[in-house]
Amino acid sequence: MPCERKPMRYGHSEGHTEVCFDDSGKFIVTCGNDGDVRIWEGLDDDDPKFITVGEKAYSLALKNNKLVTASSNNTVQIHTFPDGDPDGILTRFTTNATHVTFNSSGSRVAAGSSDFMVKVVEVSDSSQQKTLRGHEAPVLSVTFDPKDDFLASASCDGNVVVWNIKEQSQLISWPLLQKTNDVSNAKSLCRLAWQPGTAKFLAVPVESKVQLYERGSWDHVSTLSDDLLTQLVNVVAWSPCGQFLAAGSVGGSLNVWEVSSKLCVERQKHEKGFTVCGLAWHPSGSQIAYTDTEGCLGLLDGLRTSTSNSTNTASKQATVTKPAKDYDALFDDDDDDRVMDEGQSDTNSPVKKPITGDDDDDDDFLMPATGRVRSRAILDDENSLDTGSLKLGQEKFGDDDDTAVASCPLPRWCPCKAFQPGSTPAHLTHRFMMWNSVGIVRDYNDEQDNAIDVEFHDTAVHHAMHLTNTLGHTMADLSQEAVLLACPGTDELASKLQCLHFSSWDTNKEWMVDLPQGEDVRALCLGQGWAAVATSALMIRVFSIGGVQREIFSLPGKVVCMVAHGEQLLIVYHRAPGFDGEQALGVQLLQFGRRKRQLIHGEPLPLSHRSYLSWLGFTAEGTPCYVDSEGAVRMLNRSVGNTWTPVCNTRETCKSKSDSYWVVGIHENPQQLRCIPCKGSRYPPTLPRPAVAILPFKLPLCQTSTEKGQMEEQYCRSLLFSNHFSFLSSSGYEIDEEAQSQSQKDQQELLMKMFALLFILHVFFQLSCKLEREFRCVELAELMTQKVVTLAIRYASRSRRMDLAQRLSVNPFAKEAVSPVKTNLMPITKGGRANPFKVLGSGKPTSASGQPRVTNILDNMTTSRKSFPLSGPAGKQNKNPVLKPLAPRPKTKTQSTLLQMSGTKASNKKTQQNTQPAADTQKQPEAPPPASPADNTENKRPKTGFQFWLEENRKSITADNPDLEETDVIKEAMGRFRKLSAEDRLSWTERAKTGDAADLKKRKRAEGGAEGAETEKGQAEADENSAKKKKSLDPSSKLSAFAFNKK
Amino acid sequence: MDASEVEFLAEKETVKIIPNFSLDKIYLIGGDLGPFNPGLPVDVPVWLALNLKQRQKCRIVPPAWMDVDKLEEMRDLERKEDTFTPVPSPYYMELTKLLLNFASDNIPKADEIRTLVKDIWDTRIAKLRLSADSFISQLEAHAKLDNLTLMEINTIRAFLLDSLNCLYKLRSNQHSGSSKGQFADF
Repeated sequence: MPCERKPMRYGHSEGHTEVCFDDSGKFIVTCGNDGDVRIWEGLDDDDPKFITVGEKAYSLALKNNKLVTASSNNTVQIHTFPDGDPDGILTRFTTNATHVTFNSSGSRVAAGSSDFMVKVVEVSDSSQQKTLRGHEAPVLSVTFDPKDDFLASASCDGNVVVWNIKEQSQLISWPLLQKTNDVSNAKSLCRLAWQPGTAKFLAVPVESKVQLYERGSWDHVSTLSDDLLTQLVNVVAWSPCGQFLAAGSVGGSLNVWEVSSKLCVERQKHEKGFTVCGLAWHPSGSQIAYTDTEGCLGLLDGLRTSTSNSTNTASKQATVTKPAKDYDALFDDDDDDRVMDEGQSDTNSPVKKPITGDDDDDDDFLMPATGRVRSRAILDDENSLDTGSLKLGQEKFGDDDDTAVASCPLPRWCPCKAFQPGSTPAHLTHRFMMWNSVGIVRDYNDEQDNAIDVEFHDTAVHHAMHLTNTLGHTMADLSQEAVLLACPGTDELASKLQCLHFSSWDTNKEWMVDLPQGEDVRALCLGQGWAAVATSALMIRVFSIGGVQREIFSLPGKVVCMVAHGEQLLIVYHRAPGFDGEQALGVQLLQFGRRKRQLIHGEPLPLSHRSYLSWLGFTAEGTPCYVDSEGAVRMLNRSVGNTWTPVCNTRETCKSKSDSYWVVGIHENPQQLRCIPCKGSRYPPTLPRPAVAILPFKLPLCQTSTEKGQMEEQYCRSLLFSNHFSFLSSSGYEIDEEAQSQSQKDQQELLMKMFALLFILHVFFQLSCKLEREFRCVELAELMTQKVVTLAIRYASRSRRMDLAQRLSVNPFAKEAVSPVKTNLMPITKGGRANPFKVLGSGKPTSASGQPRVTNILDNMTTSRKSFPLSGPAGKQNKNPVLKPLAPRPKTKTQSTLLQMSGTKASNKKTQQNTQPAADTQKQPEAPPPASPADNTENKRPKTGFQFWLEENRKSITADNPDLEETDVIKEAMGRFRKLSAEDRLSWTERAKTGDAADLKKRKRAEGGAEGAETEKGQAEADENSAKKKKSLDPSSKLSAFAFNKK
Repeated sequence: MDASEVEFLAEKETVKIIPNFSLDKIYLIGGDLGPFNPGLPVDVPVWLALNLKQRQKCRIVPPAWMDVDKLEEMRDLERKEDTFTPVPSPYYMELTKLLLNFASDNIPKADEIRTLVKDIWDTRIAKLRLSADSFISQLEAHAKLDNLTLMEINTIRAFLLDSLNCLYKLRSNQHSGSSKGQFADF
């Protein structure tokens, strides 16, 4: 009988504690040293109700909604349950009572006290008391005979006594225990327990064993023991069916024996080994709650306490089946649920081993039958399901789930109810009906007032609204255009849909629609110009924002959640019953607008293990994403066939287990996960007003602690988060002329992204080089665009990895044919490419003859590094355009322009920010004056001013820094040259021109260009204003301004 | 220095606001502010926060220390210790005053916070007076006081300096009663 041990949780302050279940098994009730009685709705209740009964509570008993406690003021008091109103004092002692217990019918209470007395009191009339005297030390525990004739008590004097209640006399006494003088000194609490039902056995914990005494003969008939149980048994408790006995020991062991066979069927150990001092069976027999002396509460779940030979008496059957029927009745209220619950879970349960037919259950398999219904009933309490079954997810907090399949005899599937993402549970009096990127809809549902407040984040959209909620709306959605509200139907009234279309230009800003009788609104959402409603009849109804009914279609399953963005509609529904706590959800993504189509056709929605959906939405850019109860945020990856990529786990940033983040919105650009941190709960309260926090995204890649992992993560993330650009542009083209301009803007954004990407790749590449992983470099190169590959080759050759450079240069040509994605991207980059680099030429067209104006440091470097032979392929590529000047290829052109870019990139790659190409272009004029075009004979190259300067100053540089490498010398020189005043530099350029007069004549055309460029550059440097003016004329500066705006 | 001047300095402290308008980054001499996104918290100086608040353009998120529990703890510690305890913010008094005057609707339990901060202030000022008193009565030449805020120093500065000057004059008169004639000679 493997069972699941739930993690302990803090219940009371340190000291003696007790636990019991209420009659229905819905609540766990504990008391402790802090004088509080706590009422837990299951172990995961983060906010248990509590009743303060005194300074300390020694013992409690609960029956028939009466809570009896023994408190430190020497009284035994009654409170009502679950309200906790005091209901009088039952009896008093001269010192505190140590143990109280009810009889089986709940009509009497027995209490043992430290003043050696045991009292039996009628609950209805506390004046009818019977006092049992005879113990010579404080009483440890008392228990009633289920047939109400006898009472057994254990005392610190070492005796266990059976009393005849009526005659108030001792029937028999066994000296079984060690003598002590006080309860606090007693080694064991010696909680006695009488077998329920047949009342045949009295269980007495004696040292590390449990002795069973037979009623009537009062003979010691058997002993339950376990080899592994070596410490004193503290408490014992019978299962409600009377076939099992559970015992908790001082050392924290928990054992369950099957009494008829005396076999120990279950062994568990307290997770910290504290003394177990309270033990209670769930009325269904499937759970045991226990408490320890440190005030913690634990639960063993999934006990299978049924055997094939039923020993149940008729009376017990009656009591046990009764609650089962109650719960059936409960499910009858909700037809849909019942169909799903009963029908499907029964037929599909893989874990239900001994039971098959429902008919048999009533006769033979009482425990599982009730257990199953009950456990669902537990889950069905109001707290749990409103935001998608809270309890279900909580049940498996941090425990090991592998055993669960075997241990859980009950199909746990509980369909989470439909919910509105961004709302808090409907049973709260003050709650959020909707919190999204537009605003907040709050619902106040007090006794005197039922109102809805609509507030907009941006007051420019609309002023705040206050509506009286006469219809009892429970669902809401909010968009820039309208507020959509809906209420479920009642017996008389149909389910209504109300829309406040505040952006309408006519005077009537409201419309209302009644749904057909018997059809309830389950979920709703607002798109741009339309609204959609999912109903209990498994239908989606689409209305225009003005209230025209537009579409209607059926959904394959019960809706869970529905959201809209622009023209997209995302629906999540139940595909099938889930096994073992899992949810089987399906997702549909539809697009309305002019070309209606379905983008995702009811594919399964991946969720974390045993979690449920907790938020569904679109990013601000229109990519679907969702959050599950485990805090995993997933986003649709349109580029990989509409798969879902986990982008963040909010749980990782939580400080404690019970904290969570309540997601309210996701933005892709900038990458922001907007959510509200909730301390110790799953949703925020309305007051004090919660503040939004921003979480970063992080793809769960491997080894993100390393630099490489981080780069990879960054790269993958930036790829993923730029998917929406292509989506937007593709849908933009199909739809609208207006949207086209929008998508053009988006393309420019994409260009920005590409810049970012280049930069990332560049560093990426560098990294790989550092690691000497040349194969990986080639792999990376395959990811790169043509431009960057060239840069990579340059880089490789410069860092003297000729082999790698060769491979890289072979690669891109092969790649070009294969990768359609890259070619897709190329036109975009080509279109935009002209912009940023025109600054260099200042409006002068790049020479059409294909004489590329290769103006960059790298070229300078090759000249100055004459000793270093440039290897074949890399060198050839550079020289290509020069060797065949008459047949320029577009490719080489792109290369040459790229080289310029790469040059500047390399020169200021440290400072360069991918988001600030403005800064980049600004620097370009300051970059070294252009070297002459790359020629095959380097002598013929006209020398630039910088080269002249370098020749003269090289010695001083090398003298200053003798250990510099060639490239570093150039860098250093560059830095110094830049520091020169504009006039100085101009004079150097002049010298360069005059010095090369002969060459100049030969190569008039090219030189003219160069000269023009150079003088212009000089001017640009001398006159910043004019430079700025030029730039402002340039399209790229528009681009940069745009980038600036994009923060 | 005037109390209003100290308050002016305090207005440079940043505070979180939740704007209900959207605006790009604004570039000021003191640094860039924004961007402002409706519903998203953003850090701005107090002066701007109050200005926006008065125009009903934002909600102010009270600083973390402006919380009843934390302040109670601080007050108790302040009362228990003989020396000055570290304060949550160097401008706690000014900020409390400013925020509670202009944005009390955004601060939960504003009245309690006002009382608590006043309590802390009173305790500290009492300590300050006490130490000033013992400083003078014991004729000390110097004293070191940690964790004082500008406002607190400012409240006692004028009085303490003047009185010390007076005392000095009186004492020097006493001492140099005989040598007074010498000075007259010069």
